[in-house]
Amino acid sequence: MSTSTIQLPRVRQAIKPSSRRNTPAVVVGVLSLVIAVLIGVIGGPAQLITTLVTGGIWALMSVGLALIFGVMNIPHFAHGESFMLGAFTAWLVFAPLNRYLQGHPSAFLSVVAPFAGMIAAVIAGAVIGVVIERLIFATLRHRTKEGWIMNAFLLTVGLSYVLTNGATLTIGPDYRGVPQYWDVPPLQFLGIRLTVDRLVAFAIALVVIGALWIFLQRTNTGRAIRAVSQDETGAQMVGINLDGIQTLTFSLATATAALAGASLLFMYPAYPMVGLNPLYYSWYVVMLVGLGNVPGAILGGFIVALFQTATQQFFGIAWINVIPTAIMVIVLLVAPSGIFGSEVKGVQEQ
Amino acid sequence: MNSNPELEQERPVARGGLWQTVVAALGRVGITPLGLALLIIIAILPNVSPFNQEHILRWLIAGAFLGAQAVAFDFTSGFINVVNFGFAAMLGLGAYTSALLANTAPYLVLKPGITPWIGIWVGALVAGLVGLLLGMLTLRLRGIYAAVMAWFVGIALMGLATNLTTVTRGSMGLHPITLLATNDNRPYFYIILGMLVLIYVTLNLVTKSTIGLAFKAIGQNIDAARASGINPTKYRVFNFALSCTFAGLLGGFYAHYYGSLTPQTLMHTSKTVEVLAIVYIGGRGTLWGGVAFAFPFIFFIEYLRSNLTNLPGLQLVIYGVLMMLVMIYYPAGLSGLYYWAEAKVRTMLSRRHTLPANERV
Repeated sequence: MSTSTIQLPRVRQAIKPSSRRNTPAVVVGVLSLVIAVLIGVIGGPAQLITTLVTGGIWALMSVGLALIFGVMNIPHFAHGESFMLGAFTAWLVFAPLNRYLQGHPSAFLSVVAPFAGMIAAVIAGAVIGVVIERLIFATLRHRTKEGWIMNAFLLTVGLSYVLTNGATLTIGPDYRGVPQYWDVPPLQFLGIRLTVDRLVAFAIALVVIGALWIFLQRTNTGRAIRAVSQDETGAQMVGINLDGIQTLTFSLATATAALAGASLLFMYPAYPMVGLNPLYYSWYVVMLVGLGNVPGAILGGFIVALFQTATQQFFGIAWINVIPTAIMVIVLLVAPSGIFGSEVKGVQEQ
Repeated sequence: MNSNPELEQERPVARGGLWQTVVAALGRVGITPLGLALLIIIAILPNVSPFNQEHILRWLIAGAFLGAQAVAFDFTSGFINVVNFGFAAMLGLGAYTSALLANTAPYLVLKPGITPWIGIWVGALVAGLVGLLLGMLTLRLRGIYAAVMAWFVGIALMGLATNLTTVTRGSMGLHPITLLATNDNRPYFYIILGMLVLIYVTLNLVTKSTIGLAFKAIGQNIDAARASGINPTKYRVFNFALSCTFAGLLGGFYAHYYGSLTPQTLMHTSKTVEVLAIVYIGGRGTLWGGVAFAFPFIFFIEYLRSNLTNLPGLQLVIYGVLMMLVMIYYPAGLSGLYYWAEAKVRTMLSRRHTLPANERV
C-alpha cells in the first residue's frame, strides 16, 4: 500500500513533462503507424518493403546532414551534390567493369564489381569532403565573426551551383545509369518480389548507420565529435583539435552521402541534378526531427519515406513532392524545432 | 537676430542652386548623379547602333528583369537578414495568377479574359498576400528556419503548378497573351525599366524612412533591436510581404513578355539561387548593387553562351566560383568596392582643394 502511494507521484512526474512536450512527436508517430497500416492493407507488403529500402537510404543521407549541422553549424545545401558525386564515381568504376564482364564472364567479378564502384564512391566522397572543408569552410570559419549560419548556408548554395554546373561541364548532362547491379532474378517470398539491388542497398544503409552509431558512441574520436556538437569551447578546453574534428565530420558525411548515391545508382541514374530530390528529402528529415539531431534523423528517414510511399499509393507519383512538403510545413509551424527537438542552440525560437 | 554672417554663408546660394535641388531630390529617392547618368545611358541604349539588334534588346530586358528581382530580393536579405528561398515561387505565383486571369484559350477551364494590364497587379497582390501569410507564420523564427520554410513552401507551390494540370497545364506550359500587340522589343524594355525604377524608388523610400531604420537595427542585432522597443516580427513581416508583392509583379511581366510559362523555367529553386548570387556579388544592403551587376552579368553570360557552345555551363561555373569568392573574401561585394573607391577619390580631391588654400594664407 505504502509503496504505491510513494511511487505514484514519481511515475506522474516522469510521464508528465515528456507527454506535454512531445505532442507533435506522438501525433506524427500515430499518423505514421496509421499510414503504414493503410499501405500494408491497400498497397500490400511490397509497398512496405519499398518504404523500408528508401527510408534506409534517406536515413543514411540525413545522418550526414544532421552531423554537419550539429558539429559545424552548417545548414548544408550541397549535400545532394555529394550524392551526385557518389553516383558518378560508382558509374565511372562500374560501367567499364560491366563492359569487360560482357566479354569475359566471371562469377567472382560480377559479384564484386558493384562493391568496387561503391568503395570508390566512398573514397572519392571522403577525399572531396576534406578538400572542400579545408578549402572553403575552414577559410570562412577563420574569417567570419557573426552571422555564421546564414553565411555558411549561402556558401553551400554557391558550392552546389558550382558542383552541378561543373559536372555538366566535365561529364555532360546525360543520364548515366545501370539497369541493375547484380544480374540475378529477384527474390520471391510471401508473394513479394525484391530485387537483390534493393536488398543490398538497404543492408548497406543499415550496416553503415550502425557502424556510424558505434563509432560515435564507443570510440574516442566519436566522443570528441559529439563533444564538439554539444559545446565547442568546452571541447577545445579539454584539448580536442577542433579543426581536425570538423574536417573529419564533413568528410564522413560526404562519404556517406556518396555511398548513398552509389548504392542507389540502379534507381537514380547519375546526372548533374540527380542530387536535388535526395537533398529535398534529407532536408525534410532533418527539419522534421530537429536540426542537428542525429538519432532522430535515422527514424525520420523512415517517416519521410512512409509519407512518400503513401503519397505515391493514394495520390499518384506526381504529388510526391507536394504532399510531404505540405505535411512538413504544418509540422514545422507547430513544432519549429522539430518533433524530437533540436539540441543546437541559437537557431530555434527568437 | 538672423544676421549671423557665418550661417548665411553655409546656406546653399544662387550658384548651382537648381542643380543642387535636383541632386537633393534625387538623393531622397536614392539616385545619385552617377546612377542617373547610367540610367539615362541604359535608357538610350536600345536606340543606338550596336544595341538596337533584337537579341541584344532581349539581353537588356533580361538584365533589367534580373536587376529588378535583385532589388526586391535584397530588400529582404540585405536589410532584415532573412533569405527568401521561395522567391522564385512568388514570381511564379504572380505570373500564373496574371496569366490565368488573362486566359481566353479554350484548352483551360477558366476563361476570364481580363487584360494583363490589370492582371499583373492582381498577381502582385496575390503574391503579396501569400507572402504576408507566410511571413506571419515563419518570421517569428530565426533566419535559417524562415529560409528553409520559404523554400519548402516554394517547392510545394511549384509542385502544385506542375500537378494542377486542369488549371495550369502543368509542365506543358501556358501561353499567356502578351502585354502589347507588337513584336518590337523596345516598348517592353521601357516597361521593365519603368518597373525597375518604380521598385527601386519605392523600396528606397521605405529604407530611408524610420521603418528602414528599424529594418537595419533588426538586421544587425535582433536582440538589441527588441531591447530598444522594436517589434521585430511586425517589421519583418511587412518587409517580406512588400518584397513578395514586387516579385509577383515581376512574375506578371515575365508571363506577358515571354508569352510562355512553365513551372520549371520560373519557379525552380535554381532561379532563386541566381537572384541570390546577383545580390551577393553586387553587394547586399544597398538595393542598387544587384542592378549594377545584373546588366554586365547578363551580357557576359549570353556572350559566353553564344561563343563557347562546346563548353556548356562554363559561364555558370565561373559565376558560382565568383559568388563563393565574394562571400568568403569580400562580403561587401561590388558596391562595397565602389564605396571604398569613392572614399579614396574624395580624400584625394579634398587634399588637392585644401593645399592651394593653405598656400594662399
